[in-house]
Amino acid sequence: MSEDTFMGVPRNTIDWKPTIDYEKCNYCMECFDFCPHKVFKKQEDDPIKLIVENPLNCVVFCRACSKTCGLDALEFPNKVEVTKKIKETRSGVASGE
Amino acid sequence: MSEKYAVLPCNGLDKCAGQVAREIAQIVCENTENELICPVFYRVSDARYDKIAKENPLLVIDGCATRCASKLAGEKGLKIFRKMTVTEEAQKRGAPLAVAPLRLGAAELALGAELAAELVKEEAADASVDSGVVYPVPEEYIIHKKDKFIFRVPPEGFYFTENDCWVQPVGNRARIGITDFMQQSLSDIMFVTPPTVGATIDQFDEAGTLESGKAVFELVSPVSGKITAVNTPVLNAPELINENPYEQGWIAEIELTNFAEEQEFLLDAAGYLKVLKKKADEYHAGKKQG
Repeated sequence: MSEDTFMGVPRNTIDWKPTIDYEKCNYCMECFDFCPHKVFKKQEDDPIKLIVENPLNCVVFCRACSKTCGLDALEFPNKVEVTKKIKETRSGVASGE
Repeated sequence: MSEKYAVLPCNGLDKCAGQVAREIAQIVCENTENELICPVFYRVSDARYDKIAKENPLLVIDGCATRCASKLAGEKGLKIFRKMTVTEEAQKRGAPLAVAPLRLGAAELALGAELAAELVKEEAADASVDSGVVYPVPEEYIIHKKDKFIFRVPPEGFYFTENDCWVQPVGNRARIGITDFMQQSLSDIMFVTPPTVGATIDQFDEAGTLESGKAVFELVSPVSGKITAVNTPVLNAPELINENPYEQGWIAEIELTNFAEEQEFLLDAAGYLKVLKKKADEYHAGKKQG
């Protein structure tokens, strides 16, 4: 399911994924049910019942799961910085470090 | 408020934002001719509110991003003409409500009164300026068929992002919108929040959102520039986007600032077609598309 590249740069050089704020999350699982890319994983028998299992499956710049979250418990990186990094990687200024 | 609305609020008894939404709806209906729809009653009885809901433009007041009121409108097949989400408004004002108490205190009541006053106030005049630019209508489309779905891609004159948005540049202006694939993934679009006319945005910044019963989609702007116009007809008739997202369903017009350089990061029709095919395959392999 994961994209190998995004905008011509390797997906694994792009830091784009949701971060769950466990102080806010009530494990309603709306985001899990919504995301078709299997980014999240349920852990029924664990006190932490939801984790980000496949960050590289997350569609770069997609924040749709956060819009399902009534508690505002999902955070994403800063888009402007991520774009800048992608452009740098692409132009070879930075080499995906 | 220039016209009479049917007001459908979140009734949220379990969250502060919901309580504020309910408060706003009551203030708005007390001070105008608007009619209040009780979402709890409407859920179980179409008869009581159907006439009010279908004969008046609908104002939805959601408490939080769970969007219960919007989803209810979707279930009832209603279009949303105006909308407010209390948590978003609270955040804009630097006073998030996430941990606020259920019983409304002075601060929450003041927020409710302020937001209600904003809704009652006449809408600001539309600042869109017709640029007079003529955007060529595609004479034909490349068609990709997948089972019962048909996805259209204009063969030339448009550039795409991997986030299913397009830009159609003409001189130093361009229109932006979403692709046919995204339109079908969202299904019936109920509400469009356009970008602000006059706002300057960077490439890949958010340029408005589209909501369906299924999801909220951020339009990721393929280009940077200044928003010069929004497509006013789609605000009242979002189905225009479902009908043809490349023609009458465009979202906004932008004054280009750096297209030559930005074009390098965009896909042409052939490039987008590859992305589209892969996504369509994944859609059919999985249960749904986001």
